[in-house]
Amino acid sequence: MGDEAMSYLNYIFLGIAIISLLYTTWRNIKIKKTLKKIDDMLDLATTCKLSQERFDESMLSKVESKFNRYLLGLASSEINLHQQKKNIEVLVSDISHQIKTPIANISLYSELLIENPSEEYINQIIFQTEKLKFLIQSLVKTSRLENGIIKLIPSNNNINVIIESIIKSTEYKAKDKDKNIKIVYREEGEHMAFFDPKWTEEAIYNIVDNSIKYSRDNGEIRIIVTEYPLFIRIDIIDNGIGISEDEMTKIFKRFYRSERVSAIEGVGIGLYLAREIIQGENGYIKVESQVGKGSTFSIFLPKDYK
Amino acid sequence: METLKTAGLKKYYGENKNLVKALDGVDLSIKQGEFIAIVGKSGSGKSTLLHMLGGLDRLTDGVVEIDGTDIFKLKDDELTIFRRRKIGFVFQAYNLVPVLNVYENITLPIALDGNKVDKAYVDEIFKTLGIEDKKFKMPNQLSGGQQQRVAIGRALATKPSIILADEPTGNLDSKTSLDVMGLIKVSSHRFNQTVVMITHNEEIAQMADRVIRIEDGKIFGGDICG
Repeated sequence: MGDEAMSYLNYIFLGIAIISLLYTTWRNIKIKKTLKKIDDMLDLATTCKLSQERFDESMLSKVESKFNRYLLGLASSEINLHQQKKNIEVLVSDISHQIKTPIANISLYSELLIENPSEEYINQIIFQTEKLKFLIQSLVKTSRLENGIIKLIPSNNNINVIIESIIKSTEYKAKDKDKNIKIVYREEGEHMAFFDPKWTEEAIYNIVDNSIKYSRDNGEIRIIVTEYPLFIRIDIIDNGIGISEDEMTKIFKRFYRSERVSAIEGVGIGLYLAREIIQGENGYIKVESQVGKGSTFSIFLPKDYK
Repeated sequence: METLKTAGLKKYYGENKNLVKALDGVDLSIKQGEFIAIVGKSGSGKSTLLHMLGGLDRLTDGVVEIDGTDIFKLKDDELTIFRRRKIGFVFQAYNLVPVLNVYENITLPIALDGNKVDKAYVDEIFKTLGIEDKKFKMPNQLSGGQQQRVAIGRALATKPSIILADEPTGNLDSKTSLDVMGLIKVSSHRFNQTVVMITHNEEIAQMADRVIRIEDGKIFGGDICG
């Protein structure tokens, strides 16, 4: 009787042992398979060809998705870094080009001045020096803004004050010589928004200055402020030369200048700086324009701290 | 880096005499971080295009690749999971779940995938969209503009590869439209999110980095490759 029970027990133990052995082997195969999949994923990832092909509710599929996202992020930041490096190269060559011309001119007029003292040459030197000064100032501003040396500190401010100050400081340009441009702004109530006053003034100034530059003689620039529930909108409307559709996004690029305006002085940094500032304040700029009829730049600034 | 790519995209309805070519060979390439507007009159095929991009409908011919995955090679249930992980949708009709509050609506896609909610990120979404004080409100207690802001938050929540927006301001008045669009614009910039939006509104399209025009199922204007 006792022996029989023992042998039963033996069988049971043997059974359990076999089952657990089978189970472990099965687990091992499964784990190996999973590891193999992860290994394959890594292999693919190193060749930058990782694309997920199977999607299901399993843990592995989830890991694969997350891994995929991580690698894509890594790849795109690598591309960004490469792009940034290229941008800097272009920037350096652009800057040297921008600086070369006025310096060459200054040296030319100085030589001429030695040979033949004339007021015209002196004026040319002054003009070219001003151009250089402006260029350097703009560059210093953008680099400080980009490197985070200058922080935009938005606070609740009155936009009217900014606009009036801009109108005052641009008036002499608008009234200049034959240009005779009228700037129209009718203040209607107080408009408060969340922005950094000093830098926002710079941004809006650049846009108004731009409008004056590309307006026709006896033109008109209207500034209109509209309140929305979340944003304040500032429209700067001119009836100048306008911008073609394919140029609309390009005008915000650094050093971009339309071929149509090559006769007008400018370095192509004002709008770039303006957009950087407004975006940094969680606002945005949009443009509407028709060639020959004029442009409307709309600046949107948040009314609430974001 | 391309987030979305299509080649020879075609969608035909009907047969023989009744054949309608809703999309007739669309080639697109959209880079990571771009904000694209697809503009066209009604019937031009722009909604069909968006449905194809999001894998909401099967196409007749062509390829749609998102992050390198050919989405129409996936089986239906795989495509469902793919959409949940990779695509954020914003519809004209908001499509919020009426029995869930704002917070639950926004975190729903995260919960569906069985993931933990990244609290700091979700808080930032609430802040950016200006709906911090609406967290525990129900959708029917919100205005149209607020509901759409919640829908945008939901689309952003899973950090998808791409957000597809189908006339996101179609049900809103013009002032609210600009506000909502502004928030899409600001948040896409802030979260470096790729957005493709269809609209028939020129003013709204002007906010995009790039405008693609579609007519009779074909792209006829704008830069195809940026």
